[in-house]
Order: sequence, then structure tokens, then C-alpha cells
Amino acid sequence: MTYRTLTSALLACFASMALHAQEITFQASVDRNEIAVGEALKLTIELTNVASGGGMSTPDMGGLVVAQGPMESSSFSFVNGRTTRSTSRSWYLTATQPGTYTIGPSKVSVGKGTLETDPITVRVAKGAAGGGTNAATDQAQRRDPNLFCTISLSKNKAYVGEQLIATYTLFTRYRALQPKDYDLPKLNGFWAEEVDLGNESWEPQLRTVNGMQYRVAVLKKQVLIPLRSGKLTVAPMTLNYLVNASIFSSGTPVRIQSNAAEVNVLELPAGKPADLIGAVGDLRLEVTAPKTQVKANEAIDLSIRFQGRANLKLIDAPQLALPSEFETYDPKVNDQITVNGAGMSGSREFQYLLIPRHEGKYELGALTFSYFDPASGSYKQLRSQPLTFEVAPGDAAAATNGGVPSKVDVQRLGSDIRFIRTGDLQLRPKGKFLFGSGAYIAGMALPPALLLVLVLWYRRRQSRLGDQQGQRRRSADHVAKQRLALAAAALGKHDDGAFHDALGKALEGYFADKFNLGVNEVNTAMIHAKLDAMDQGRTAQAYIDLIEQAQMARFAPLVDKPQRQIYDQAMAIIGRIENHRPA
Amino acid sequence: MKHFLAMLLLSANLPLSAHAGTDSLLRQAEAAYGNGDHKLALALYDSVHTHYTSAGLLFNIGNCYSKLGDVPHAILFYERALRLSPGAEDVQANLDLERTKVVDRVNQLPAFTLGSMWERVQGGRDVDQWARRSLWACAIMALAAGGALLAGGATLKRSLHVLALAALVATLASAALAAYRVADVERHSEAIIISPSVEVLGEPRTGSTRLFILHQGTKLDLLEQQGEWREVRLASGAVGWLPLAAIAVI
Repeated sequence: MTYRTLTSALLACFASMALHAQEITFQASVDRNEIAVGEALKLTIELTNVASGGGMSTPDMGGLVVAQGPMESSSFSFVNGRTTRSTSRSWYLTATQPGTYTIGPSKVSVGKGTLETDPITVRVAKGAAGGGTNAATDQAQRRDPNLFCTISLSKNKAYVGEQLIATYTLFTRYRALQPKDYDLPKLNGFWAEEVDLGNESWEPQLRTVNGMQYRVAVLKKQVLIPLRSGKLTVAPMTLNYLVNASIFSSGTPVRIQSNAAEVNVLELPAGKPADLIGAVGDLRLEVTAPKTQVKANEAIDLSIRFQGRANLKLIDAPQLALPSEFETYDPKVNDQITVNGAGMSGSREFQYLLIPRHEGKYELGALTFSYFDPASGSYKQLRSQPLTFEVAPGDAAAATNGGVPSKVDVQRLGSDIRFIRTGDLQLRPKGKFLFGSGAYIAGMALPPALLLVLVLWYRRRQSRLGDQQGQRRRSADHVAKQRLALAAAALGKHDDGAFHDALGKALEGYFADKFNLGVNEVNTAMIHAKLDAMDQGRTAQAYIDLIEQAQMARFAPLVDKPQRQIYDQAMAIIGRIENHRPA
Repeated sequence: MKHFLAMLLLSANLPLSAHAGTDSLLRQAEAAYGNGDHKLALALYDSVHTHYTSAGLLFNIGNCYSKLGDVPHAILFYERALRLSPGAEDVQANLDLERTKVVDRVNQLPAFTLGSMWERVQGGRDVDQWARRSLWACAIMALAAGGALLAGGATLKRSLHVLALAALVATLASAALAAYRVADVERHSEAIIISPSVEVLGEPRTGSTRLFILHQGTKLDLLEQQGEWREVRLASGAVGWLPLAAIAVI
């Protein structure tokens, strides 16, 4: 849009000169009165209906620098019998410093009078945003001042995932320009999202680049999201045009190539939170669950909605840490995302369907999600209200299963080492063992030693007991030997008669001595009386037999029994009687 | 006499119940481990370990290393714990878990079931278990023999004689096992690689032929020692030399 400030200075007419009743105008105009440092504006001073405009004075530019000019032009038109003649002079002006500048009046002498233009105030803002005056544009312009295109990025430094706006702009000074084909750059390392530009084609307003005016068209606008860190480049775009096409020629083909846009992509800073969802930008969280009291096997709707200006399309469905009693399905994603020149904004909503399989009260706690905020260069956490679901026993399960819950395998969620041992660790001094220690040797030696002591004690007691019996046996033997000494002597001489005589006497004598009787008192009845207590009377009978045998053998020698055997019998029986202790 | 014996046994078996300081260190270590401060827990357990040891203590130290992500030391201390208490189930479980993090896959002969059972039996709960058993068996033997000497009835006498004989055999066997266990614990014939990776060389000399590369956590048998070098044998049977500093003896 061109703002034309029209100030006209009308002078009193010189009637004599107004032959054709034509109006004389003298005016100064600028194509715009707000520019940025480095941009240029065009100042035009136009004088109409004066035969010669050579007398226009150059106005005081008020600090603005003349980039180009003055350029003079004159025109002459003849319409409906009216002649219009105009002379103009124009300059391209730029400013190096922001501020307010006033362009002074220009004067011209017409006839006897003087015409003067009004001063024009121009505001110069600080360096312009956009691709108007940056180095890339300058370079492209230098390559072909009549037709060039640029790719500009809204930032030259961004974090991974942060949104950038790439603008593909065409600048031309040709009137007739026919697009033939174009080759859009391949994007490597970016997620791209087209911005809908609508039907907008040529910008209505001319843009001045380094003092030259261009028609400008934004060919394309993209939201770019860097996917990896490092220096990422948007490759140059190539365009083919036919210029100066007319009915006479098909035009000259022109091939132009844009600059390559570079962005330095930074890795997200260290200390990534565990609940990072991959969003970069500015987000709000809204978690809603319309129904929190349900019956088992009834569905719960849970909606997690991220809203704001961020790379929303790159947010993946968050993993919910639900108890295994909840069955979940992949969430439904509802996007309300608009992509415009300011980037991607809107909301992405994840709708979860949860089906609790068992009754109970489930405290899910607050859901937390972290995202990266490039404005502050830090991670920010979103936190929902704590979620609690109360699940009542379901009807369906009871009906189908008879109230018996279906068995579920125990889920193994992870593995970890077993916990430390607590309590008594049964510590011992290093390198010392019970085996081989003094205590061990003592402990091993003591029981056998005690046993040995016991055995010795037992032996001694036994031998003492054995001595009494032995003595008696020994004395009995002694008595028998003494008594039978004569018999033994006769046995040695093989004197049969003497042997039996001595034996008989010895047996009678022993019995008498033993029981304090006279020798004549020894008879069968007495022997029975004294010895029947022993051995149920067998000893008594044997004793009687022996005496009778000896008396008989004195007269009739015994052939069948050797003397030695009889002697031994006598020895034995005397010993037996000696040993016998009446009870 | 009996009193004296009791005193002797007590003094040998319970050397540190009186050490209240050690006890409080252990309580602190437990609390630190429970709170997730494994570094502090490790330092506390280590300070106890300067003078004392036990399978439980070594197991806990191994756990601290495991939580701190030091796989080779965790394996080392689990192995030491197993040496004191072979077949301890939770030690074996944690060791198995740590071993999954070891890089080297050495073809190990599968453990013989009967063999591992025997190992568990001969290992006992701790090193002193067989020594204690031999003491018990010895006392039972003496009691049975004495009873047999004094017993009246012939049947009782005979069964006490049999018992005494069995106890004698048990005494000798368990004493032998106790001796074997002590020797086993004291042998130190195995090691764990502590360095992240180490080259095993053909000779005990820098620059000799590189035979293979081993990584931390792998278990080795120790053979000869020569200066700063140690000859080792892998479970697969491969033999080579490596610097002493790369390994820690179990």
C-alpha cells in the first residue's frame, strides 16, 4: 500500500496565464514513511502543467542518505483534448540510524511566484526482521538484481525439536514473469509442516531492497522442526522462470537459485527428566476423566490433552503406569493443530480407554510430563490432579464366572538383586576359624579324656570286686589242695589203694572241718542236711558218691575211672563248697 | 571343668557380640542402604570388613557394589561370600544376575547336580559349621561310650556301642571336612578381572604375544606367580599371563 501524502500549494491564479485553465501542482511524496534501517524509500517530487520543471530545488533530506538519484522523468498526455504535462524528480533514500527524519520543502519558481512542497516526516525503525536486508538477500541480489529468491529461517540457533519458520521468498523487478518449474529443497534432518498461505500471491506492496524496489511473493512457508543436533542446512531452492514474455516472444528462460539456509541445532541440555514427552515449546496439560466411579469391566475414559505452541505433532502417546488390573488400548489421538506463520499451535489430545478388571480403589497419583521450554532453556514439568478410580464389583463378571475371578499369571515387571542381609551377620575375626583353634582342640580332646577317666575308674572298681571272689576261690583251692595233698602224692606213686584211702579221708575230714563236726558224725544224712541247699542237692549227692566210691575202691580197684579224673572231681567239689556263700 | 569348657567355647564362637561399635556401624549401613545411599553403606560395611568377615557381610558389600554399578567388584564379593557359604541361595541369585552383565562368554562346564549338592552339604552354613558338628559328634561319642560301659541291660549296651561307633565315624568325617573347608577358604586360587579389559599374554613380559582379551567380571583360576605377573587359566582351559593389578583374588 502506498501512502501518499498529498499537500498541494495552490497559488492565486494568474488569469492571464491560465490559457487552458490547467491546474498547476507541485507536490512531494514518499512511497512509505516508515522504513527500517537499511531499507530505502522513494521520494518523488512532481510538478505538473508547467512547461519547464528545471527549476526544482533539491530539498533538504534531513539526515537521510541518498542511495540513488536524482532520477528525472517527464511525461506528456493528451486526453479528451486536455493536455497534461508533468515533470518529476525522485531519489531513493536510506537511513543508517533509527529515528524520525524530516525531509524539507522543495521550491520551484513558476512565472513570478514560487511554489513550495510540504515537509515530510519519515520514521526509521531499528533493523528489520525478515528477509529484506540480510546478508543472504544481499548476496542473492548481487547475483541477479532483477530476479532472485531467498530462504530465510526465523532463527539461526535452535534446540532439537524447537520450531523454526522457513520462508521462501521471490523478489523480482520484471513485469511479466511466468513460472516454469521449480525444485524445492530436500529437507534433511527436519520435520516439515506446510503453512497454508491461502490465495496470497504477490504482496500488494513493493519492497525495497538496497534502494531497489521489488515485487515480492512468498512462495512457501514451512514450519521446520530439527530432529537432530548439529549444523543443519536447508538446501538451496532452484526456480525456472520465463521473463519478459509477450505476444511477440515466449520469453527468456531464467534459472535462479536461492541461498542455503543454515541453522545451528543444539542438543537438549543434560538432566533429561524421566517423564520427558519430546515436546519443545510452551505447553499446558489438561487431564480429564469424566467418570471415576465405575463397576469392574466398565470403561473409563481418560483424556490427556496437551495445549500450546510446540511441536505438537511430535508428541507420542504417553505410557501410563497403570496397575495390571487395568486393561488399556492404544489411545485415540485428536489433533486440533493449526500451522501458521507463527508455527504450530493448538492441542493434541490422547483419549485412553481403561477397563478395570477387578474391583478396588486405585490411586494412580498425579500424571507428570516434562517438556523443554526453549525460551528459558530449561525443562518444565506438567502435573495433573491426582487420579483416583473407585471400582465397584462388576455385574458381568459375577454372572459369567460365578463370582470366581479369572486367574492371571504373575507378571514379572523387572529384575533386581536381592536385598542385603540384615540382623545378625555372624561376623568373625578375619582369618580365624573354629577348626584348629585352641577351643576346638580342647573341645575335641575333652570328651575322649573324660571317657578315658570313666573307663579307668570302672576298671579299678571291677578289679576290686574281682579280687574278693578270686581270693575266696584261691583259698578254697588252697584248702582242697592241702586236703588232697596225700592223695596227690599217692597219685604220683600210682599207689591205687593209698590214693583212695587218702581221698576218702580227705573228703570226710574236709566236711567235718568245714561244718565243725566230728569225723564220726560225717554220714549221708548230715551231708544232705548241710549241702542240699547248694545246687538243688546235686553237690550233696556228688559228694556222697565220691566218698562211697573211695571206700569201695579201697577194696575193689576201679577199672573204668582213672584216678586223675576222680582227683579232679574232688578238687572241683571242694572248691565249689568253699566258694559257696549261703544266701 | 564343665564351666571352663563352656567359657572356652563361648569365647571362641562369639568374638564380637560385645563390640557395640561394630553393631551400630552395621545398623547405620543398613539404614543407608535402605535409603538408597549405597556409597555410604559401602563405606560403613567396608570399615567393618577391615577386621571382621562373614558370608552375610560380603554379600551386603557385593550388593552395594552392584547398586553402584561396579560389576566386577560385586561379582568378587559374591564369590567371596559363596566361598564362605557355598550354595547360599540369595548370593547365588545375585551373582547370576551380575554375571549377565559380564562381556566375556567363557564356555563353562555345566554344574553337575550331584556335585553342587555335595558342595552345598560340604559347604555348610559357614566355615565353622563342620568344626561345630565334629565337636558335637565327639561329645555324643564319649557320652554313648560311657553309657555303654555303665549300662546294665545287654540290648541297651549293644545299641549304645553302635551309637558310639557311629559318632566316632561322624567325628572323624566332620573333622576332616572342617579341615578341608578351612583349607578351601584359605586357598585363594581364583580371581576376578577388575580392569575394564585386559590382554592376556603368552609370557610374563610386556610386549609378548597377545593371546586373548578379557573383560571385567570374568572369573579365572590362578596358577603361577612371577613378579608382577600371574599365570591364569580360564574355565575353557585357556592359559596365559596377565598383570597382577588387573585382577582381584577371591
